Amino acid sequence: MSEFLGYERDDGSVGIRNHVAIISTAPYANDTVERAAEIVENTVPITHPLGRCQTKPDVFQTYRTLLGYGTHPNVYGTVVVAHAGEIVDGDELASDVAETGRPSDSVNIHGEKGVMNALQRTVNSAREMVQEASDQRRVPADMSNLTFGINCATSDTTSGLCQHKATARAAWRLIDDYDGRACFAETPEFFGGEHELAERAVDEETKQEILDRVEHWDQRLQATGYDVRGAQPTPDNMDGGLTTIEEKSLGALVKSGDGPIQDIVDYGAQIPDDSGMYIMDTPGHGAESVTGIGAGGAHFMVISTGQGHTLSNAIMPTIKITGNPGSAERVPEQTDVDVSEALVGDQSFDWASDQLWDEIEDVVNGKLTMSEAMGESQFAIHRIGPST
Amino acid sequence: MADRYLEVVEPDDNVATALRELEAGETVAVAVGDEERTVEVSEDVVFGHKIAIEDIADGETITKYGKSIGNATEDIPAGTWVHVHNVESNYGRGDLADGEQTAAVSE
Repeated sequence: MSEFLGYERDDGSVGIRNHVAIISTAPYANDTVERAAEIVENTVPITHPLGRCQTKPDVFQTYRTLLGYGTHPNVYGTVVVAHAGEIVDGDELASDVAETGRPSDSVNIHGEKGVMNALQRTVNSAREMVQEASDQRRVPADMSNLTFGINCATSDTTSGLCQHKATARAAWRLIDDYDGRACFAETPEFFGGEHELAERAVDEETKQEILDRVEHWDQRLQATGYDVRGAQPTPDNMDGGLTTIEEKSLGALVKSGDGPIQDIVDYGAQIPDDSGMYIMDTPGHGAESVTGIGAGGAHFMVISTGQGHTLSNAIMPTIKITGNPGSAERVPEQTDVDVSEALVGDQSFDWASDQLWDEIEDVVNGKLTMSEAMGESQFAIHRIGPST
Repeated sequence: MADRYLEVVEPDDNVATALRELEAGETVAVAVGDEERTVEVSEDVVFGHKIAIEDIADGETITKYGKSIGNATEDIPAGTWVHVHNVESNYGRGDLADGEQTAAVSE
């Protein structure tokens, strides 16, 4: 398969879904967003506790993350809902969405003279967009359009020995055979493997950037005054046999394979267009790293998990793969692909990768993932500094 | 023949991952690179956890994937369960950082 059926956008991207996003810019618009999404079918509410009383580094990060969702390839149109005058500006966000050719509207609760008026306008705009979106057809598009997100979740010792190998092979298949791109993240989960990872960078600048960002994370964690164990690895990681963050990291890095790293980008920043493997600098916190990679424009994500996880995203479908024998039975709705036969049975890792690739082909063409069918999603923007 | 359910990732690793439950007292044959090593398991080990495949001294590096995953906090004889009770990390150790570094965020 060198083509898939997707939704063409005016900005040249091609989506694998056709969502209408309703995005809140501050906590005080969250209720209106959620209520509108309850009323209008097939809308995705995006709410969060940020966007107000933040310092500039967080303002920029929150803004580019929300913009990443408003302009995501899988998004047809966006309604932005703001509370009043906010440092994350709703009108600016809606205007930046409109520049990509997507339908967009900006609703301000104060400007509309109250919540009921704002809700009505949000519902009207979202309803129009949903009807238009439903009238758009999938068309053949080249696989090179696709960006493959990679994340791990509830890792255990099987992760680095099995499912991450299948994930890496599938990601490099998209890059090497179809000129697509892939992106992994979770910088603190490079601890212990950062030097070998940095050697994979395509240039000296990227190599140094990887090492600097890993060092920065270690400094941030040391500054807490506590041992990070418990936060990394997590209690469920430790139950699964992972002893230290270094052991977790060395396993986690297996999911990126061993090919060249093109660049490391900021949290929530756009993943570049050129084919290849990229890193996004995010924490290991799954909801935050997945939210960041989604903002970067990944069309879908493979979540390579040990014991299973509900980790998911409403805009970017997540395909869960496990190699832990028993996880698929223990948590069936958290497993799209079970490749444990490659670990404890007689199957190869190429077989495991083929199982995953077949599922990816189905999902990019419209098959719902377990998380989509279950209606599961989380949204958590990583924050840098204090509220003020 | 080596037990396929005990995985040593790189030949210089000093731990093996158990891909089945191990029982105290059993003798296992572990493939280490092209060689085979016999280890007496000294305690029960659950799926996915690790055992030492050689004697590891207090303070010595625990090696998996051919790299350090931390240091032993006590002597760990071959066949012993290796986990959080006898290994410490070398990253994110705010508990070992100096006061000046932690002053800004400590309680």
